[in-house]
Amino acid sequence: MTRLEDYDPASHYDRVTEAWLLLLGDELHYGVFATGDEPLPVATAALTRTMIDAARLQVTPAGERPLRLLDIGCGSGAPACDLVEEFGIEVVGITTSPVGVATARDRAARRGLPGATFEQRDGTDNGFEDASFDVAWAMESAHLMRDRHALLSEAARVVRPGGRVVLCDLLRWREIPFAEVRARREDFATLRTAFGDAHFESLAYYADSLAELGLEVEVADDLTQATLATFDRWRDNAARHRDAVVDLIGASGLAAFERSCDILEAFWRDGTFGYGVVAARRPA
Amino acid sequence: MSTSATDVEQTVIGFLTTIEKLPEAFGPSTSLYAGGAGLDSLETAELSAILEDTHGADPYSAGEMPQTLAEIQAYYAANSA
Repeated sequence: MTRLEDYDPASHYDRVTEAWLLLLGDELHYGVFATGDEPLPVATAALTRTMIDAARLQVTPAGERPLRLLDIGCGSGAPACDLVEEFGIEVVGITTSPVGVATARDRAARRGLPGATFEQRDGTDNGFEDASFDVAWAMESAHLMRDRHALLSEAARVVRPGGRVVLCDLLRWREIPFAEVRARREDFATLRTAFGDAHFESLAYYADSLAELGLEVEVADDLTQATLATFDRWRDNAARHRDAVVDLIGASGLAAFERSCDILEAFWRDGTFGYGVVAARRPA
Repeated sequence: MSTSATDVEQTVIGFLTTIEKLPEAFGPSTSLYAGGAGLDSLETAELSAILEDTHGADPYSAGEMPQTLAEIQAYYAANSA
């Protein structure tokens, strides 16, 4: 039997952050592939660009107030720093992981970006004032938050009129009957060991929830096929960085990651899981 | 192992202990899910498999969704007659 740990995304994240930087790349998220042949950094940058387009970010004109963006589940801070650098906006990144906050702050300091700040906060109860951000941005973090409705509700709450909530994440395309969970429990346990206690929602769930919160849904796109080649790149990284990853998470951790790539790819191909992006605007 | 209430209780408590989800005041009427032991679908699937491996059958595979230890025990009591 696989031993299951209590849900604790922060401790899980701390344990594997360093290894993930090697396995998943510096941006710690999936890639969007136009041809399937691109290097992973090109594809992860393309996913970030997809979010940027959905958020309709623009370079801050001289003399104008910079947009304020809340990055919910900011990872190691790479996308936040990139956004500050490219658009001249202010980004507040939050994560429940103290390691994530420290890594992100170091990154912003090294790059000389005072507009990128990071705090240890919970995306499902963020504590910021109402309407205090122009954009609430959740890049591949929702699946690690148990209460997705609270995440969306809090994101919608802190967005100003005219502002947007944008989110991309892993999705569930169909209900998985209990008998199937039971039959494939070793696969699901392997995914939990590698990626933590993840729970996926449907694209419709995210879009409908944001609409119910009073936002106008502008984007609800299926990126399943576009993200499929991510697993090949992750396997390549596992082979390239094998010794370093084993030092960080052990041989069993690496084996679970490699097995997870195969399991997820199969789920992607059979229509069980996938990927998508949603954006919604609070009416002005 | 038999399907007696005592043996079934031992199996369930052993499983909850292993996954560190045994509530302090766990009893026959404690919910196995939210508000009680807090089992999720994967953990419930593992409990189902352990019950079958240990006692030869399990209520989940029979299409039932017992909410408490007492309901699991009732399944075995009803099916051992």
